[in-house]
Amino acid sequence: MQDLLYFSQQLINGLTIGSAYALIAIGYTMVYGIIGMINFAHGEIYMIGAYTALIAITGLTALGIAWLPLILIVALLCAMLVSSSMGWAVERIAYRPVRGRHRLIPLISAIGMSIFLQNYVHLAQGSRNVGFPALIEGGFNFSADGAFEMSLSYMQITIFVTTLVCMTALSLFISRSRTGRACRAVSQDLGMASLLGIDTNRIISATFIIGAALAAVAGLLLGMYYGSVDPLFGFIAGLKAFTAAVLGGIGSIPGAMLGGLILGVSESMTSGYLSGEYKDVVSFGLLILILLFKPTGLLGKPEVEKI
Amino acid sequence: MTTSLKKLVTAVSTSVALMGAGYAAADIQIGIAGPMTGPVAQYGDMQFSGARMAIAQINAKGGVMGEKLVAVEYDDVCDPKQAVTVANRLVNDGVRYVIGHLCSSSTQPASDIYEDEGILMITPASTSPEVTERGYELVFRTIGLDSMQGPVAGNYIASLNPERVAVVHDKQQYGEGIATAVRDTLKDKGIEIAMFEGVTAGDKDFSSLVTKLKQADVDYVYFGGYHPELGLILRQARQAGLDAVFMGPEGVGNNDINTIAGEASEGLLVTLPPSFDEKEENQELVNAFEAKGEDPSGPFVLTSYAAVQLVAQGIEAANSQDPFDVAAALRSGTFETPIGTVEYDKAGDMKSFEFVVYEWHSDGSKTPLN
Repeated sequence: MQDLLYFSQQLINGLTIGSAYALIAIGYTMVYGIIGMINFAHGEIYMIGAYTALIAITGLTALGIAWLPLILIVALLCAMLVSSSMGWAVERIAYRPVRGRHRLIPLISAIGMSIFLQNYVHLAQGSRNVGFPALIEGGFNFSADGAFEMSLSYMQITIFVTTLVCMTALSLFISRSRTGRACRAVSQDLGMASLLGIDTNRIISATFIIGAALAAVAGLLLGMYYGSVDPLFGFIAGLKAFTAAVLGGIGSIPGAMLGGLILGVSESMTSGYLSGEYKDVVSFGLLILILLFKPTGLLGKPEVEKI
Repeated sequence: MTTSLKKLVTAVSTSVALMGAGYAAADIQIGIAGPMTGPVAQYGDMQFSGARMAIAQINAKGGVMGEKLVAVEYDDVCDPKQAVTVANRLVNDGVRYVIGHLCSSSTQPASDIYEDEGILMITPASTSPEVTERGYELVFRTIGLDSMQGPVAGNYIASLNPERVAVVHDKQQYGEGIATAVRDTLKDKGIEIAMFEGVTAGDKDFSSLVTKLKQADVDYVYFGGYHPELGLILRQARQAGLDAVFMGPEGVGNNDINTIAGEASEGLLVTLPPSFDEKEENQELVNAFEAKGEDPSGPFVLTSYAAVQLVAQGIEAANSQDPFDVAAALRSGTFETPIGTVEYDKAGDMKSFEFVVYEWHSDGSKTPLN
């Protein structure tokens, strides 16, 4: 019983962090699916989302507003708005002018953008860690007669439910809406979609905006969950989310979700049963293994050479 | 108006000081090198204020061997590159004794130049063991080493009769070094180490670690590393309902940990250099600082004061102004300073430097426990 509780606790820890990875991974996978580039500045967009949410929360609290749902919704909207504009601007400034060139050029442009955004936040917000208020506290506790008590916090439930809602909404949007259909068309064949009268520039911008908005949601959630943000906040998270996207099959939206969860659970199980020192070894080892046997990732479709 | 007046006064007094240095060739120049500007300038202020006070008081008592001490100040911005430039300027200015530098990363490269050029250096703040590990003859410090803190923390935890202790570190030279020392001290005392594990510096999610600590049912957790990681561990442990007592080295003991951990930093144990300004025998000195409107409570004020005193006492003991003679005198004698009785070993480290265990409070204050 004791061991089962311990296992479930590590599973909960892993699923929580994994679903947040998935939210960030969507941005990588959608952009790759459509224009075939890896947007390395995406981790920074997530970090900016977290900072914006924190600024909004601090501002609202300073104004004397204490009603939690209002604070959360306003913070979420602010973060999504700022991050989306950033995502859009980054694409316009750094990627569109070099689109269609050699593959390396947008990649280098993306790395440059990432360095720029990181240092911009360093200058604007300082390089210290900033505390993030814990707005959602408390949770359920489960205990057998033993000493170990399993806890499932409201914050973890919030992260899980929000991710689920976002993912469902995104899937519906992609499969049902007009823009979603255009997205799929552009991802299948950019040139053809353009010939058929789809404004591909608009669709590409929309992809960046959606990815950035989801990253902002993750920024707010993880900022609250961890408890602090700093300008390097997006670096590791971005790397992990990118791994999740590749693991699940880059270009595939359900793949990003699956990849995120697998990565999160394997990390927490490694820390829980082996040692925290091997966490990254196991998760990146897993990535290599999957890529060796299934180079397109778990749910990725084999790439058909476009003629 | 006031600022321009201040600038004018500073300019005039600087030129007077420079003229003074130029004219009085018989005086003994004491270089003070540390950050006057940049991110850690507040620590530099402590260093300069302590050293200036010591120079003024020694001169008031008639100087050293009948000669006055003259302060020559340099700004290294806590930047290793600037520190090298400063060291070269010091050489050109003919200074033979340096109080500094502050940051270990600055002290390290500057000390190479001082050793080559025959300049005696006493750092009042650099705690990295490497500074004195290279067998240099002219390098000293008036502060403890990172490696001295581990045993202090280990012995303190042992004195509380813990059942199970976990030792966690950030896998970096500083953190893992201290954590290993704590673990070894505890093992020698026969205390069970439930866990010895590293976390990745820069990581944010410690929920798995916290769960593991809960499962291991530890009552004390020692963390070797800095405040960003410990702050998050404290906070996530509090949320998960872990009720162990945490302890860390001076790398976690600053106010940033309160902004990260919030309430959860209450009751944290930290090893820090003692507050020398609270010692009874230093009250006269403390009053002298307060009369000047300066705060003697910073960790590096009295260590800098002591460093200047040691140079003066060393010159007198050696009865020579040659830095090598002074260094030999410092290694062989015992000296009374506001930071206690100082005795040096061969490397240039103090034979004993006590670290004190403090209980940290979430409002940033602390109370000494031993």
